[in-house]
Amino acid sequence: MTAPLLPPAALRERVLAAARRESEPDHQGGRNRVAVLLRGFVVAGAIAFAAGIHGTEAKTPRPLGCTLSLELLWLSLAVVATWAGVDRGRSMLGRPRVWRIIVAAVTPAALLAAWLPVAFAWPQTLADTSGLRAHLICIAMTMALAAGPLVAFARLRRRSDPVSPRLTGAALGAAAGAWGDAAHVMICGYTAPAHIVVGHILPVVLLTLVGLVIGDRVVALHGQESPRGVRARRS
Amino acid sequence: MGPERGTSPRVGPRAEVDVAMERYAAGDEAAFAAVYDALAPRLYGYLLRQTRNRARAEDLVQQTMLNIHRARFQFIPGAEVIPWAFAISRRLLIDGHRHGKLEQFAEDGAVERVPSGGASADGLLQARELAARIEQVLATVSPSQRAAFELLKYEGLSLTDAAEVLGTTKAAVKLRAHRAYEALRGALGEAAGDFEAPER
Repeated sequence: MTAPLLPPAALRERVLAAARRESEPDHQGGRNRVAVLLRGFVVAGAIAFAAGIHGTEAKTPRPLGCTLSLELLWLSLAVVATWAGVDRGRSMLGRPRVWRIIVAAVTPAALLAAWLPVAFAWPQTLADTSGLRAHLICIAMTMALAAGPLVAFARLRRRSDPVSPRLTGAALGAAAGAWGDAAHVMICGYTAPAHIVVGHILPVVLLTLVGLVIGDRVVALHGQESPRGVRARRS
Repeated sequence: MGPERGTSPRVGPRAEVDVAMERYAAGDEAAFAAVYDALAPRLYGYLLRQTRNRARAEDLVQQTMLNIHRARFQFIPGAEVIPWAFAISRRLLIDGHRHGKLEQFAEDGAVERVPSGGASADGLLQARELAARIEQVLATVSPSQRAAFELLKYEGLSLTDAAEVLGTTKAAVKLRAHRAYEALRGALGEAAGDFEAPER
């Protein structure tokens, strides 16, 4: 055991004075966190509404039960991914690393797995023919629908992770992607396997990769110089 | 002060610093002084050992405390402050290394691991030699093993807290610390017998 190495008394005064000088942050507490989330989801909802008015490109309409089942399953996955990957739980450092790895790595696979029972329950929906154009539209739509939640999640977790921000970012991306898919399933009329994989699962993978970058740029807590004039000096 | 070495606040009463941080997050401005008083000595000791430079250690303590201050409204009631504070310090330290701000060795001879209590001159000399020897051995182990060992043995963090700070599992921290300990025991023999990894 070693004797404690005590900081100089002057440092205490400097830190307390610097904290007093710093202005209040522009967002406070839980109410603002809810507002940030709401804004993100309202944007996604508006995009979904606009796309819904435009209507689906699919020529054969899906049974309502098929759409609602898939919606329910993907919505549940989005909620779980958000809870496990975005919410910090009871720790300021976020949920355990392994949870975030699971969210980032498993969410796309889980979305695909959740679609399988729906496809088997309504096998006629497997036969629709969607081309490259439909795939590309759905990639763009899913990413557009996920953009609102992703921005909201990134704002909530901004400069909050000093340990593994890229991983947190990837989890945010995957969770946002799941929300994008959950919104998009109400609009897209195609359910062919190739379309589900390319048009709906691939964007979630892409958003997870985008999340890696966001993690590094936005979520990471990086060092910055102390405010001018309060930088510690050799005592 | 924080919890006793090796104890887990998760199973005991809440640490004073956690309660103070909650008060601060709730808007009690005066509570920041209590948060500082509880955290700063531990952070300063850790950072001084890592940087071997008093001015840099002070700067990093200041930055860590200001980061905590800025994030006060995001503080989660019931969360623990100590692993969070150590994780911030460690991140700032690593960023400092990356930006080449850190001197490799102290120009002011700042850090010596001095034994506590009233040691005799012989004892003091012996302890200093042992500390220097430990330092040499720790320089040969991997950075992750060294970090795990230091957080557990020097900073007195629990396995759970050290795992949070390092972003890994308790088992991994224990294994890393054990390997560092084995290296120490191989080099120092019986003198290293004091270092055992905590169970929690």
